[in-house]
Amino acid sequence: MDVFQNILMGFRVALSFQNLLFCFVGVTLGTLIGVLPGIGPVTGVAILIPITFGLNPTTAIITMAGVYYGAMYGGSTTSILINVPGESSSVMTTLDGYQMARKGRAGPALGMAAFSSFMAGTLAVVLLTFIAPPLASVALSFGPPEYFALTFMGLTLVTSLSGQSMLKGIMSGVFGLIVACVGLDAISGEERFTFGNIYLLDGMGFIGVAVGLFAVAEVLVNLEEPMEQVFVQTALSLRTLFPNLQDWKDSLGPIGRSSLLGFFIGVLPGAGATIASFMSYAMEKKLSKHPEKFGTGIIQGVAAPEGANNAAAGGAMVPLLTLGIPGSGTTAVLLGALLIHGLRPGPLLFQNNPDFVWGVIASMYIGNVLLLVLNLPLVGIWASMLRVPYRILMPLIVTISAVGVFATDNNIFDMWVMFAFGIIGYLMRKLEFPAAPAVLGLVLGPLVERSLRQSLTISHGDLSIFFTRPISALLTICALLSLFAPVVRAVWQSRRMSPMEMKP
Amino acid sequence: MRRADQVTGIIVLVFSLTLMEGSRRLPPSATFGPGAGFLPFWLGALMAVLSALLLVKACLQPVASADTALFPNRRVLIPVGATIGSLAAYILVLDRLGFLLGTGLLTAFLLGVVERERWFTTVLVAVLNAVGLYVVFHLLLGVSLPKSVLGF
Repeated sequence: MDVFQNILMGFRVALSFQNLLFCFVGVTLGTLIGVLPGIGPVTGVAILIPITFGLNPTTAIITMAGVYYGAMYGGSTTSILINVPGESSSVMTTLDGYQMARKGRAGPALGMAAFSSFMAGTLAVVLLTFIAPPLASVALSFGPPEYFALTFMGLTLVTSLSGQSMLKGIMSGVFGLIVACVGLDAISGEERFTFGNIYLLDGMGFIGVAVGLFAVAEVLVNLEEPMEQVFVQTALSLRTLFPNLQDWKDSLGPIGRSSLLGFFIGVLPGAGATIASFMSYAMEKKLSKHPEKFGTGIIQGVAAPEGANNAAAGGAMVPLLTLGIPGSGTTAVLLGALLIHGLRPGPLLFQNNPDFVWGVIASMYIGNVLLLVLNLPLVGIWASMLRVPYRILMPLIVTISAVGVFATDNNIFDMWVMFAFGIIGYLMRKLEFPAAPAVLGLVLGPLVERSLRQSLTISHGDLSIFFTRPISALLTICALLSLFAPVVRAVWQSRRMSPMEMKP
Repeated sequence: MRRADQVTGIIVLVFSLTLMEGSRRLPPSATFGPGAGFLPFWLGALMAVLSALLLVKACLQPVASADTALFPNRRVLIPVGATIGSLAAYILVLDRLGFLLGTGLLTAFLLGVVERERWFTTVLVAVLNAVGLYVVFHLLLGVSLPKSVLGF
């Protein structure tokens, strides 16, 4: 079997001392980021990218991926102990997790969150191992029209699923694409919107923009609402963490279902870990014989969303690695990191850099084991991290961001980019514009532009090229559907409503 | 959000029109196919339409519909402004002040003035943070950080 040979090669890469060490560093930092409220996974990955610059690309991405799924683990701790989700994908965990803690069952809740995360995360990597290669080989036949359609679909799905206002989501995505236009035009070499500034020839620095939009903006938003932390006092020892037999009986079904659901939601561009955890919680509630018990502190309510968000993090690696299309803000930042390391994710990655792809995939198996080992015995330490007040973290986040951005290219100009996008990001938050589509637009901008212009060159300017090739037609139609679905639904609903309104 | 959306709509509309004007000066087509100005122009056009939509939508919204102010509590603007200002000052003088001193001062300002932490904790965190970042980025990662005129 080809897959087994590949994954064995991957393990040889991942088990080297350096990669193992950095996988450990990544998952530890990820857990820390997940635990600390006020730093989400996107922010965490963005401010930690500069730390990986000296490393070779494989080690660097192993570290970043570790931060990503590590944060998914860590987020549950705060949800359970202080009712504050460490990141948005742990919101659902607060419902039953915190109630369990109040009933004195914080231990089993934390334990089940870790076990569920481990099982779902591992299952997702298994699925990734088997699904990614065939998808990559299909994607090898893609030409510019397919790539354009694919990026178009990725952008529209992300915008239509993020935030309340779709209009604002689209505006944010277009803004990202516009920012991506700054710098030398990759095809003609023309200077665009550089205003004579030599630093802008290379385009707006990706790290500066991402750190500004996420980290700096988040700090500014948090200054407005001081976070209140109500700690549930529990004695946490290793023995209290193990769920009892009944807990296991209740949880195994939800874990299995939420892993599958989470994985496939993660694969879809646009729907990330957050939506996966919401949907799995809703699904378990629907399937349960006692739906009224959800929210009162039952273990299924912890197992399902925690499983789903970890599975989604694994699923999100599928489109990222095989197609080079990130499905969420965090994977968009990961893609940015890959590009900085000179790797262009996509089907060719599987052919040209198999040691990289399989090394990273294998490291995810190892990382999940490390996380379980790290989380169970050390949960007391993580919980005590929660006592670090946010006001101490705030200056640390600001300064780490600033130094990290400086370190990218050793110039102060990038810090100004971070500064400007920090203010833009803050205003976007205040005005309810989601930031993720902007980062996605920025990362995908060059690919969108190249594939669009190449396609139009092939077709002599005829737009029908996107509809006459089957794969690109299918993707373009999906994209258009996701764009117009809300409009169609609104019209349809108003039609259905109108006869009723006329009756009285 | 109504008034805020109206203002945003107008600002983004002006921005889009400027972008379209700027893109028109770039070659719209190359020898083969579309040129450098093609995508920015159409993105500008798309953004113009979207911002006009936002403007219209905001104007059509009934005025009474629980319009929340963007900054319900004006006092929050003080810490936000102080943070933005100190970050700008930090970036401006980093070259002259050097990394260690600059970062220490920024941390101390954010913690002591913006967050009103006790002075002892402030000084301790500021020193540890500046030195810690220096160790990680300069000594471990080999980044050449800005030095002050005094040479550290």
